[in-house]
Amino acid sequence: MKDDGGPPQTELRPPDQVMRLARMGSMFPSRLSFLRTLIRRLAAEKVQIARPVWEMDSGGFGHAVYTLRLGGYDYSLVAVSTDLPPEQRTDRVIATAWDSAYVLYDGIPDAAEIARILASAPKQEAARFTERDLILSRANKSVRLFAHVVQALREGRQPEPEMVRDVGYLMRTTAVYGNGKFGIADRHMIDTRPGLEGPFAAEMLTVWLIRHFTHDLVEHVGGGTLDRRLKRHLGIGNATGLGMAPFLVTHPVLLNNWMLVRETALARVRALETLTPAEQDRLQALAARAAAHLHEWHVPDAVHQARIVTLRGDWETARRALDLTQNRPLDGAMRGVENASCDVQELMAALVIEPFGDLVDGLTDCMGDPFGALCQPLLDVAALRDRIQSDFDWALTPDYDAPDGCGQFWYVSAAKQEPRLGLRFTEAGAEHETPLDIGRRIKALHQDLKDHEGGVHAFLAAHPDHALANERVNMGADYPYAEIRDNLIATSCLPIDMLRCKLSFFGASKFDPKSDRWTRITLCQGAPLADELGPQADDWWLPVFDP
Amino acid sequence: MKASANEVMTLAAKAARGAGAPPAQAAAFGRAALCHLAADRSAVDLITALDRLPHGPIVSLPLTFAALATPASPKAIFRADVPPDLVRSYAEAQPFATSVAVSGHQLTATLDIKTPTARPTVSRINLPDELARLLNSHAAKTLVPESAASRSSGAGAGLTDND
Repeated sequence: MKDDGGPPQTELRPPDQVMRLARMGSMFPSRLSFLRTLIRRLAAEKVQIARPVWEMDSGGFGHAVYTLRLGGYDYSLVAVSTDLPPEQRTDRVIATAWDSAYVLYDGIPDAAEIARILASAPKQEAARFTERDLILSRANKSVRLFAHVVQALREGRQPEPEMVRDVGYLMRTTAVYGNGKFGIADRHMIDTRPGLEGPFAAEMLTVWLIRHFTHDLVEHVGGGTLDRRLKRHLGIGNATGLGMAPFLVTHPVLLNNWMLVRETALARVRALETLTPAEQDRLQALAARAAAHLHEWHVPDAVHQARIVTLRGDWETARRALDLTQNRPLDGAMRGVENASCDVQELMAALVIEPFGDLVDGLTDCMGDPFGALCQPLLDVAALRDRIQSDFDWALTPDYDAPDGCGQFWYVSAAKQEPRLGLRFTEAGAEHETPLDIGRRIKALHQDLKDHEGGVHAFLAAHPDHALANERVNMGADYPYAEIRDNLIATSCLPIDMLRCKLSFFGASKFDPKSDRWTRITLCQGAPLADELGPQADDWWLPVFDP
Repeated sequence: MKASANEVMTLAAKAARGAGAPPAQAAAFGRAALCHLAADRSAVDLITALDRLPHGPIVSLPLTFAALATPASPKAIFRADVPPDLVRSYAEAQPFATSVAVSGHQLTATLDIKTPTARPTVSRINLPDELARLLNSHAAKTLVPESAASRSSGAGAGLTDND
């Protein structure tokens, strides 16, 4: 994305500041997040959700079909609910059975197609799917909350608000598969369709529809109607592990485009010379909402809870210091938190973008990657060496030979063919290491370039192992936010930071880390219900239960 | 078997890595293998290329096409032992417009860096059984068997699921 004479903007925050794990692990959802973009699109088209099939027994086991029309195309969610013994319920990827399974279908399935999906969807990875199946997913109940809501509705009352607030979802997905996995449709078959152009748009549509299904299911089993306010706060949970982390390394153009859009949006609002009184009031209200959201964010892990508590205090300080009457007030807001934690800075970044959809929403059209990396390679060894020295200090600095500098290795497990992280000096398998060690590779390339002159092509012909590092260095000029500028094999590397970055782009909130390798989150909490897709549908950034 | 494009591309890339290709060249082979099969070209070209690792076209062709993406060298002439169809597949896998021409025994390719192109879109790919077996066999070499350590910590431990 180039500056083509669009709205004024300040300098972008430099990649050396932005692309650090600690900062990426502090990101919050924003109006640029994929769920927000999708909901705006659904609202703009006044999409109607129908439920032509609902075949559920009294226990809530059976299937349902939801349909909608978006951008001139019909889509359906086929939902299958099964009676899962408690001992089989696990969120881990090793699971083979789930409370519910889902397929987002291209079109409206006939009886034969529904029957096919009912037979295959509950098997998930063990089944094969067709190009009509766009997304495959599954979800487990939050047994505690689901049972409580059912009991309350059966007794003719509403569930305890505190439980709804604290859990926040009736089910949590444990995988949302797209782009050809297990035979489902490739993303390129739908990525030019209106409404599904953006990254993970079909996945987000599926998640939003699953949330709708969970509301219907609990009301069906409970035999009552949930209060709309409670229902709106019930999002969809998600358990996300290491499988998601390598994506950010293996899709550098996408990562660049996501971050560049976000930083450009921030730079545009920072360039605003003044704010109207209404804009000032709106920002103050949103800042207060963020504070309330932080007070409703509780996690069991003591370390992360302490971090949230610290953030609550720091955010109050930042709020009090906000002067929205000054010139360039949002630039001032960001400068005002420059010495605060990454948590405060990234929350402020998400806040100041929020009210300015007219200025930033169009940028979301630039978050995809239709071509792959488009860059001209450096031809000369000396030029390549200079580029590394000038732009890749982050890669040259670490000592990758030190035990702490290479203490972990990424690999793919034979058992589930899923990404894993091992300890290099105590676990077997490092010889099959997945090449996510971009920094180490660039430093090794630089080392070997020292003794060479001439053309890069001849160098790579003699040293083909350096081709990956060469590619990434060549990308640097055109895709400045493409690389995570940290050592991803260091003992200190925390994959949870990568997960939070990616999940914040999805629109996730209420991060609830269960270790440094997997986290629970909530999606769609506060999002409009199917019958609320109106002009105000987009106002659900960092939702609170008790506004 | 019928497979999605992404399944073919990722499997071929893993197979090339398992068979000894460096990671960038393995990824390029994945993209080229998809184009190759989408165009109904012979699986033998892919099998032969895998057999020649750690040398041969899987290692050399990505470097040749990378060099084409510069104004200084817009044309490449290929060795006679590289299957023309494989060159076409690598050309189609580039993010820029390319053309491949045959003149006598000489094969040349040109690339236009001013014209980005998306890869061909196909809904299903026919993956021949023999090739599928070979790809899966090579891809398996990149996997790490489970151990007690990986089970307890590889994906993150300490799960409490039934809440």
